[in-house]
Amino acid sequence: MTPVPRPMFGEQQRFMLFLIAPAALLLALFQVLPIMIGANASFRDWALYNPKKTWVGLDHYRQVITDPAFLEVVLPNTFLFMVLSVAGALVLGLALALLLNRPFPGQKLVQTVLLVPLMVAPVIAAIMMRWMFNDQFGIVNVVLEGLGLEGQPWLVQRWSAFAIILLTDIWLWTPWFTLLLLAGLQSLPKEPFEAAAIDGTSAWRVFSHLTLPMLRPVIVVCVVIRAIDAFRTFDIVWTLTGGGPGRSTELFSLYAYVLAFLNLDLGRGSAAAIIGGLIILFVGVGLYRLVDRIAQSR
Amino acid sequence: MAMVRQPLIFARLPTGVRRLLFALALFGVCFAFAFPVLWLILTSLRPESGVYYVHRGTEFTLGNFAEVLRDDRIVEAFVNSALISTLATFFSLLVTVSSGYMLSRFSGPASRAWFGTIYVFRCVPYISWVLPLYFVTQSWGIYDTYIGLLLPHIAVHICFFSWLMKGFFDGIDPSMEHAALIDGCTRWGAFIRVALPSAIPAISALAVLCWLFTWNEFLFALILTGNRVPVITVVMAQFVTEMGLRWNLMAATAVMALVPAFLLALFGQKYVIRGLRI
Repeated sequence: MTPVPRPMFGEQQRFMLFLIAPAALLLALFQVLPIMIGANASFRDWALYNPKKTWVGLDHYRQVITDPAFLEVVLPNTFLFMVLSVAGALVLGLALALLLNRPFPGQKLVQTVLLVPLMVAPVIAAIMMRWMFNDQFGIVNVVLEGLGLEGQPWLVQRWSAFAIILLTDIWLWTPWFTLLLLAGLQSLPKEPFEAAAIDGTSAWRVFSHLTLPMLRPVIVVCVVIRAIDAFRTFDIVWTLTGGGPGRSTELFSLYAYVLAFLNLDLGRGSAAAIIGGLIILFVGVGLYRLVDRIAQSR
Repeated sequence: MAMVRQPLIFARLPTGVRRLLFALALFGVCFAFAFPVLWLILTSLRPESGVYYVHRGTEFTLGNFAEVLRDDRIVEAFVNSALISTLATFFSLLVTVSSGYMLSRFSGPASRAWFGTIYVFRCVPYISWVLPLYFVTQSWGIYDTYIGLLLPHIAVHICFFSWLMKGFFDGIDPSMEHAALIDGCTRWGAFIRVALPSAIPAISALAVLCWLFTWNEFLFALILTGNRVPVITVVMAQFVTEMGLRWNLMAATAVMALVPAFLLALFGQKYVIRGLRI
């Protein structure tokens, strides 16, 4: 705040401090402190059934990053999932936003329907998909068999299970992209589009030369937020496949959870959680730089 | 509203056909997004004998809901989820509104540092802090208690909501507050009596979002509670692994868990949309 008379030096600083104090305290107690304790545990022999808590140095980290399950399954799965789920939801969401960006009767109804997936808990979404893709009684197989095709045991094959996890995530998040991109589209200035229409520019050129560049800031922010959240996906994998068949659909959060609470090795679980945290921090900071650059180039 | 732009092929079609195609596309979209939920509702209305052939048969019953509601654990889970969501929403907004206000109204190193902190912790995956939070809650003696579940649920939204709140306050002209300050109002007075009332729509939007997020949250309760504080998402996930064959009951529970969220979507639509638009 600019031209305000300040009677006492530091009064503004005190006000700022009080404004953020409760939030900062909660953050410190429930995120910063646990992360530090987790970091401490990750250097110790901390089995849940026998917490000796002796110092083991970087052993856990070494075990995690040399674990073939982590290197060859979990990491590729996580990144593949992150990229495909964000890309899928973005492309579908953009297509839908373009489709809906015109006046038509029943707009309100379509909007309400689109909100539905956003209200559904990921756990419930996963339960629905699990039921629809049930190998014996699921509607998907019933329809396939009705068409004379062979039903699939969807959730016990690696790639079909992975595809269903992806599908669930895309179903959950496409409407969010649509909503945000539609708002973005509706706030664009009309004049460039009118000029393009007068010049007889083709629809594709209008899209690629006008719409897309002007929407870029919105798209980038959406992608950053979603990419970071997609990286930590847990609920739908847990409920749909539990990481199976075998451990072939495990994503990073589930991997850390399994180490800590099913293998009862909190030390190694913490190490995995920290490795994942570092990876996403790296990705997150990179993405932040990108957003910053795009915001400045505007 | 931007101009109506259509690919050339469509532009050459007669208007009637174009309208029809558009209506079909809309119908397809609505169907794709509503179908899983409709299917779940249909399943929840079938008797035990008909659940494996949901697409056939004409018997319908509300018995599944009655049976689910006879299960004390499920009822308790609903009550717990509602209680925790409501309390978490209240306290979460209490702390994030002021933090967002600070981010929006002040610039300088302190503000930038706080924003950086928030951004970094927004990126940290839940598992990285909830997993060790398991030790923390145990050593404080709040593992598997209301308070031990409530506090992390308040803490989790600090980063994202401070960020959203900053955006909302950025959209509110600060000149009213300046005027209040010149008229002799204190900074707190300007914040509480001038800025807050104009932020009420934004705060309502966040309240709706926060309630939904907490109601839908799963991982925290999975790690931070045992048997004493069942919440609805965890109970359902157990249901699916333990009683995986009783899909009619499963669906009835899920439908009941969807009801509050859908009521919000229906009646609070304006706020939900506002909150979701970053």
